[in-house]
Amino acid sequence: MSLAASLRAIVGDTHVLDRPAELLVYESDGLPGYQRTPSVAVFPGTADEALAVVRTLARAGVPFVPRGAGTGLSGGALADGAVLLGLNRLKRIIAIDPVRRVARVEPGVVNVTLTKAATPFGLHYAPDPSSQTACTIGGNLAENAGGPHCLKYGVTLNHVVAAKVALPDGTVVELDSDDGGYDLLGAFVGSEGCFGVALELTVKLTPNPERIVTLLADFTSIDDAAQTVSAIIAAGILPAALEMMDQATVGAVEASIYAAGYPTDAAAVLLVEVDGATVGLDDDVQGVDGICRAHGARDVRIATEPAARARLWQGRKKAFGAMGRLAPHLVVQDAVVPRTKLPALLARIAAIGDENQVRVCNVFHAGDGNLHPNIPYNANDRDEAARVHVAMRQIMQACIDAGGTITGEHGVGLDKLPYMDALFTPDTLDGMCRLRDVFDPLRRANPGKVVPVRYCRERRPATATTDGGRRTDDR
Amino acid sequence: MTLRPDSVAELAAFISDAASARRALRLVGRGTWLDADEAVRDAEPLALTAFDGVIEYEPGDLTITVGAATTLAELDAVTAAHHQWCPLAPWGGDTGSVGATISTATSGPFSHALGLPRDLVLGLECVDGTGKVLRPGGRVVKNVAGFDLVRLMTGAWGTLGAITRVSLRLRARPAADETWHLPLDATRADEVQQELRRSMTPPIACELVREDQLSGAIADGLLVRLAGNAAVVAAGRADLQRRADARAADGALWTTLREHAPSRVPRRPRSPAVQALNREVKHAFDPAGVLNPGILQ
Ligand SMILES: Cc1cc2nc3c(=O)[nH]c(=O)nc-3n(C[C@H](O)[C@H](O)[C@H](O)COP(=O)(O)OP(=O)(O)OC[C@H]3O[C@@H](n4cnc5c(N)ncnc54)[C@H](O)[C@@H]3O)c2cc1C
Repeated sequence: MSLAASLRAIVGDTHVLDRPAELLVYESDGLPGYQRTPSVAVFPGTADEALAVVRTLARAGVPFVPRGAGTGLSGGALADGAVLLGLNRLKRIIAIDPVRRVARVEPGVVNVTLTKAATPFGLHYAPDPSSQTACTIGGNLAENAGGPHCLKYGVTLNHVVAAKVALPDGTVVELDSDDGGYDLLGAFVGSEGCFGVALELTVKLTPNPERIVTLLADFTSIDDAAQTVSAIIAAGILPAALEMMDQATVGAVEASIYAAGYPTDAAAVLLVEVDGATVGLDDDVQGVDGICRAHGARDVRIATEPAARARLWQGRKKAFGAMGRLAPHLVVQDAVVPRTKLPALLARIAAIGDENQVRVCNVFHAGDGNLHPNIPYNANDRDEAARVHVAMRQIMQACIDAGGTITGEHGVGLDKLPYMDALFTPDTLDGMCRLRDVFDPLRRANPGKVVPVRYCRERRPATATTDGGRRTDDR
Repeated sequence: MTLRPDSVAELAAFISDAASARRALRLVGRGTWLDADEAVRDAEPLALTAFDGVIEYEPGDLTITVGAATTLAELDAVTAAHHQWCPLAPWGGDTGSVGATISTATSGPFSHALGLPRDLVLGLECVDGTGKVLRPGGRVVKNVAGFDLVRLMTGAWGTLGAITRVSLRLRARPAADETWHLPLDATRADEVQQELRRSMTPPIACELVREDQLSGAIADGLLVRLAGNAAVVAAGRADLQRRADARAADGALWTTLREHAPSRVPRRPRSPAVQALNREVKHAFDPAGVLNPGILQ
């Protein structure tokens, strides 16, 4: 029986694709610019089917790539001739426990769907990537996704309590933050599909705030806006979100259908959200307002009503989309610098943009120092594409030189591979490969991603065999 | 004889020599962790005391990088000068080292509200059991570059690597900060603890205390720490007073409480499958089995 036939026997005819035309859809993820075609795409409908698929692939010794919604921005879910294992049909919310404030979900549950299901209990799922209406909880786990509100509430790592994982050899393990031994759950979070397939997750739910206030401050100097970010944090105020958009981004948003009423002549705007209990909240709002004005804000708008707040957020949430209108292609970047380095770095990015004659649009999680310097361009213009490429390398190097990192939330995937050895020593990269080899000694899960292959030494696995029967299951 | 390397390079050489000779090593931070001495009695002590002091501290970033042997007391003093703190504050008090706190992932009274060690550590440097120097993570507050050796080393009890430096997340000290004692019987104390932790303005610490445990310093009940802006703390205080005959208490009691806590011991994973993975992790980072043998295995 061919591999596709074995897979059809597990999931049914309609959930296995192997004709080139059908596979075209799965050539890319959220990051434009890369196309890789899987050999087969398989979409199990239950966790048991998914496990049977993983075991079949293990027996056949075939590489595979897990995929959630495919919104990833680093090319992580692309399968180059490997089997694409789609998890988006596993979308059951198994249980919500409002007392312990946890939910048990299948990996294909869409982020915002969980929050909606938790709303009747006054709870929500806190990690809120801007793609939350599409991306899956499993994809969030694999990328250790963040979002605007992670400044106060933490990233995915801080919200995952346990995960049931199918290792690439087909063994099932329950990784639990409460268990003894090494923090293998912590190691699995952010492993970008290279350590196995999450079949079920237990995540924390967070109480909804009593009151939310959103402020929009506009500045005539990007430097003033960046200084304000540090000043707010230094004052001991922990906003739920602290986002920045520069003039190029504001211009793109305001020219689009997502217009949010941002001042287009401002050099930068800060979007600050303060939330929590009603008591004491106004003091923080006044604190933020005062600090913005003291740092040269022309105006601070304060929104408390849901409709007004949603309008202020709309431009931020749709900023990537709005930039997409400026040119046929868009480089989406993701890097982090220490917060106090933001002013110097934003100046450096502007200089790099000028030198290379490319237009950089900055929209980012300023409170965390997590930059998204994006560049709209035309990839068919060879000369422009080359200049964009040079500018990106220079920006990433500037972030590394400033003591930062090459990705804060989008992951390494394929796209950031060239920067890994600028950030880490060969021994550190080899250590990462050794960790991967514990989970996947045959390197079949999402091969070629995260750590450049040349840093992964060949080694004889401790006990691995190819028969998928190496370890005993947890069930 | 105790080995006491002065540099990371020397430490790496000691460990790789020990690995070739299959000579067991017992990692020693500040030497306050007596249970470990018991567990790895027959190993040669390797003192990490040279890796001491602040390496980089930019208060505006709310992050700090310190040598692993830096004591918690020093971490507290250095950050207090900038009106900041690190909520690690593990059970066991402030004489231990930052490195040991991360190695053992020891939590403390503030962990419930402000994060466990795994949530507070941003990056580290360590020498694994083959003598390789690893520097995963970084010093920025968000970072998903590469597989997470930081979480792996955190709570590994020195069985995968000797940690030499650690970067940590800090917080601004709250504008208002008060400690209250609620005399309550054990059942009621338990209930109130649950309620407070689930309230809209949870205290940053809320621990059950027993009179005998604190050498009679206070009666049985709950020790609660309120922190935030003045309005939040005032509301919290009023709430405590409604629930019990709350009395203002000395903030120094938190240190006393931590010092009187029972020492943490390593736990093995529950299931055979996860135990097998743990053995493979150990084999990958300390194939000769020389680092703190006996612990977790
Ligand atoms: C407009 C836009 C805005 C975005 N904003 C943010 C943001 O604010 N913050 C942020 O962090 N990200 C953001 N992203 C990136 C992306 O949405 C996140 O990385 C998200 O977590 C990916 O989820 P997904 O289900 O689409 O995963 P995919 O793209 O399908 O997969 C991502 C990775 O996860 C692996 N994977 C997926 N499911 C599993 C599983 N069950 N088990 C094991 N591995 C698995 C895949 O192999 C792949 O490596 C944005 C993307 C877009 C398009």
